[in-house]
Amino acid sequence: MLSRVIVIKTALLIVLLGAPLLAQDSPGRKAPSVTMSPVPLEAIVLGKPGVVDLHFRVASGFHVNSNSPSEEYLIPTALKLDAPTDIVIGGITYPPGEDVSFPFAPDQKLNVYSGDITIAVLVRPLSSVLPGRYAIHGQLKYQACDNAACYPPKKLPVDFEVKVSKAPTAARKNPGQSPNVH
Amino acid sequence: MKRDPVVLIVVAMVVSLMLAFGLNKARRSKSPGAVATNKLKGQTAHDFTLQSLDGKTVRLSDFRGKAVMLNFWATWCEPCKIEMPWFVEIQKQYGPQGLQIVGVAMDDADTEDIAKFTKEMGIDYPILVGKDSVREAIANDYGGMAFLPETFLISRDGTVVEKILGLKSRSEIEDAVKKTLGPDGAVQIQPGN
Repeated sequence: MLSRVIVIKTALLIVLLGAPLLAQDSPGRKAPSVTMSPVPLEAIVLGKPGVVDLHFRVASGFHVNSNSPSEEYLIPTALKLDAPTDIVIGGITYPPGEDVSFPFAPDQKLNVYSGDITIAVLVRPLSSVLPGRYAIHGQLKYQACDNAACYPPKKLPVDFEVKVSKAPTAARKNPGQSPNVH
Repeated sequence: MKRDPVVLIVVAMVVSLMLAFGLNKARRSKSPGAVATNKLKGQTAHDFTLQSLDGKTVRLSDFRGKAVMLNFWATWCEPCKIEMPWFVEIQKQYGPQGLQIVGVAMDDADTEDIAKFTKEMGIDYPILVGKDSVREAIANDYGGMAFLPETFLISRDGTVVEKILGLKSRSEIEDAVKKTLGPDGAVQIQPGN
């Protein structure tokens, strides 16, 4: 009975000590990545602004600088878009970053994104645009780090479409209708 | 012989953990960066030519006879910034024994910005800069440089003796420096160095 207890205790000790070794990550174990979810076709009315939400995911174990990093030399996450003529990118709204301390600098907080982030793009087709589907292309520049190393800046291609349609015509009153029902 | 099922389960857990640890270790050692840099150990360090921040042409082989700590870094690399004050102190401490720290900025920033950054960081060891194509070639020679910081310890005869990938503790860096300098580092200083 006593030997059984000793075996179990020893084994549990090995498991407890071994688990952190497995969890430990060394830099370069896997490449950092930021991926973009497919964007559903956004319907936008001529002459009116519409918002397209772009969803990105920063791979687990990595972080990227926010759009307003806490230090001058850090590379911000930034979206650049090229829209067709007469479709105006009215603005890009970045989510606020999270102030996080990392093991490499526990006394310092860096403003970063990790996990899922959404960047909102304001798209405004001018009234001169013909109704139809329009592709907008661009790239998300980011620079990722993990807990022990940083990876060179990368550019992720960003592509989505918007469907521009005419403003729905207002329902007209029916003038001159006889009050009599036949 | 009747075996205790609890003991069997526990033994199975331990064996599984050991297998997982082994696989994990094998996977890490097979990562592209690790394979490439592992090949460098024991090899003569690839020579290269870059410019110092004051515009002088500097060859790595100019430092032959000294133990060289070759550190690749960038202004956008926060872990690199953690090491830099350590390097300044390590250079001060081990310089008299023949250590020379050399930084290579793997940065798209222009030289002025790099100079400003290094001044702010109080760096007093040589920092080298170069064109994209030159830096890329050097990165390839040193294992691809998938991430920063990466540091290579090069013996007095120009052999890569140690590599430090990513940020490590100051004590680990100092141990690598001592190993590179050798047990009698001070004695090995060559006249004129």
